[in-house]
Amino acid sequence: MSGGSEVHLVGLSHKSAPIAVRERVALSGDALKEALLQLKGMDGVEEAMVISTCNRVEVYVVGHGLEPARRFFLDRAREAQEHLYERQGFEAVRHLFRVSASLDSMVLGEQQILGQVKEAYGLASAAQVAGATISRLCNRAFATAKRVRNETEIGRGASSVSAVAVELVEKIFGDLQGRGVLLVGAGKMGALSAKALSDLGADRILVTNRSPEKAAALAEQVGGAAEPWEKLPDLLTAADVVLVSTGAPQYVITRDLAAMAMKARRQRSICFIDVAVPRNVDPACADLSNVYAYDIDDLQKVVHETRQSRAEEAIRAEGIIESEVTAFTRERETRAALPVLAAMRRHAEEVARAEAERTLAALGGKLDDKGRRSVEAMAKAIVNKLLHGPTARLKEAAASGDDTLPGAAAELFGIENEPPAGREQGSGADVVALPERK
Amino acid sequence: MSMLVLMIAAAFYAGAAAAYVAFFARPRYVWLASAGQAILSVAFVVHAVAIGLGCREFGGAEFFSLRGGLVLLAWLVAGAFLVLQRFTSVPTVGAFVTPLILVVLLPALFATPGGAQIVPETVRRPSLTLHIVTAMLGVAFFGIAFMVALMYLLQEREVKGKHFGALFSRLPSLDSLDRLNQRLVRAGFLVFSVALVTGALVAKGVWKSAWSWDPQQVSSLLIWLLYGGMVQLHHTGWHGRRYAVLTLVGFVLVIGSMVLIGSIPGVTRHGGTYQ
Repeated sequence: MSGGSEVHLVGLSHKSAPIAVRERVALSGDALKEALLQLKGMDGVEEAMVISTCNRVEVYVVGHGLEPARRFFLDRAREAQEHLYERQGFEAVRHLFRVSASLDSMVLGEQQILGQVKEAYGLASAAQVAGATISRLCNRAFATAKRVRNETEIGRGASSVSAVAVELVEKIFGDLQGRGVLLVGAGKMGALSAKALSDLGADRILVTNRSPEKAAALAEQVGGAAEPWEKLPDLLTAADVVLVSTGAPQYVITRDLAAMAMKARRQRSICFIDVAVPRNVDPACADLSNVYAYDIDDLQKVVHETRQSRAEEAIRAEGIIESEVTAFTRERETRAALPVLAAMRRHAEEVARAEAERTLAALGGKLDDKGRRSVEAMAKAIVNKLLHGPTARLKEAAASGDDTLPGAAAELFGIENEPPAGREQGSGADVVALPERK
Repeated sequence: MSMLVLMIAAAFYAGAAAAYVAFFARPRYVWLASAGQAILSVAFVVHAVAIGLGCREFGGAEFFSLRGGLVLLAWLVAGAFLVLQRFTSVPTVGAFVTPLILVVLLPALFATPGGAQIVPETVRRPSLTLHIVTAMLGVAFFGIAFMVALMYLLQEREVKGKHFGALFSRLPSLDSLDRLNQRLVRAGFLVFSVALVTGALVAKGVWKSAWSWDPQQVSSLLIWLLYGGMVQLHHTGWHGRRYAVLTLVGFVLVIGSMVLIGSIPGVTRHGGTYQ
């Protein structure tokens, strides 16, 4: 075993560092690849992976000590020092599992992060800086994230205002194929939601504003058509979803206007989403049949409820994380004994084969094929019988976290300084001791 | 024998309902919906066997009675829903339709069949068979439409009332429910029209006049007019809530006329002994 090589993590995230620091250490594309290779080249680094998103930058290193990972940050931004968090061994494992399962995200349960971790792993693999340990670690993290998603409801519900708007529209209209979205006013919130809605397949986006210039500018931004403000009543018949975000201090969509529109629409459903404060859509519109009207409070209430229920689900998710971390570390502790076992076996088998060959050579041609095979079989049987007990006990000791017996065995057989076991047993980097768990 | 087979069919229906309702409660387990459909298909086949055996045991006259009508109706609702599933995948509707099948079938399980009756020579004609089957198939469509309208109103209450809870996330979109409802009403209306015409033909043969202001005829005409009106209304801009409410009213009328008019003696000559 290569003597105390471990998983180390140094990172900073939205929880520990302001954006001003995060953006200075964030990397992507070729710069990230270069940084990975640079990390791998450092002393005591066997494997490395860097997760870099707008909310976090985390450096995972398999090797000896935290220093290389820490240097990654300090080389880029001195002030990162006070924002860094550091984890080792199973604490680092747990951290990666939690990040992948979106338990450490700004919006709990959001789905992007898993893709981003996968991407980080893909990059590290492609650059050949991720080896067997990181590969096993990541695959287990992905499986854990999947378990969390399937076994808890942490991903349920809409967690942002525009996501709520989209969900509402979906529940009223299904998809938006063949339907129109109307943007009234040039508020930023409206533009954001319009983007989300056009992803639902809206046929046309119409934009209207008191100032034609602003309407034209916004129309270009969201890929819609600008319409004159005076046409608003007509536009209400052309669009099915109306996003209202003007700065007007009074109702822009009055009940009368909505009633007129419904008549012209022949009662086809219409949905008003009012993200303006003060409100621009008379709440009384919702009393009309087939008219749905929501204000920013309605949407925010849903966001709030979603976050609350996700926080409750997170407690269950933590339980899954704990059990997976335990299983993973136990597995690896068992695996830590494997190179010693393999070396022992290889050594014994070599000796047996050599002795058998010598015996056969000494006997000359006096043995037929059957006799030869018997001698070889006997040599193998002796090896198996002798190694059976030690093998079982070594595995047992490793599984219970006992490090001393494998070490003693290595010393006893004089195999400590042998080159790493063959590929099929994992490279040297595969052997990672974890600090004993409390 | 047919009663036993019918019981088995009912057990399968209950299984299908359980699977569909479980799917509704836990939409994550998609296999539950497939299981529901598979069990429902089995129930449909077993039910068909029960109907065949019943015809041998009790004679076709059984279908003149309310009990026979319910047995047939439940079977046709199941069949219509299975066909519907082929065209549009609406597994959540299953959670509403399969309990309806059970409700329709349950009274028939505990009512005693009328005994071996020979269908009078005078009414033995293909148009009568066609009349019975199309009438019940029309009612089956209206029944499914009723459940879909119910789903619409439930979902509308969630969407309008801003309760974005479990029902909200599980029920389909208002638009898809509305369109499904309209399609079912159209189909039911078409089939029911055939039932009305064949009914008139049978009446002409048996009662010697196609129209005799029999309460059953009057109520059927009203129902036909109501659903016909709905098919038309759709073109003039009736959507959503009002349409769903009308669908509910229509089916209440259908069931009312089916159960009430026949069970008060002396009110109608329809479906009786034809004397």
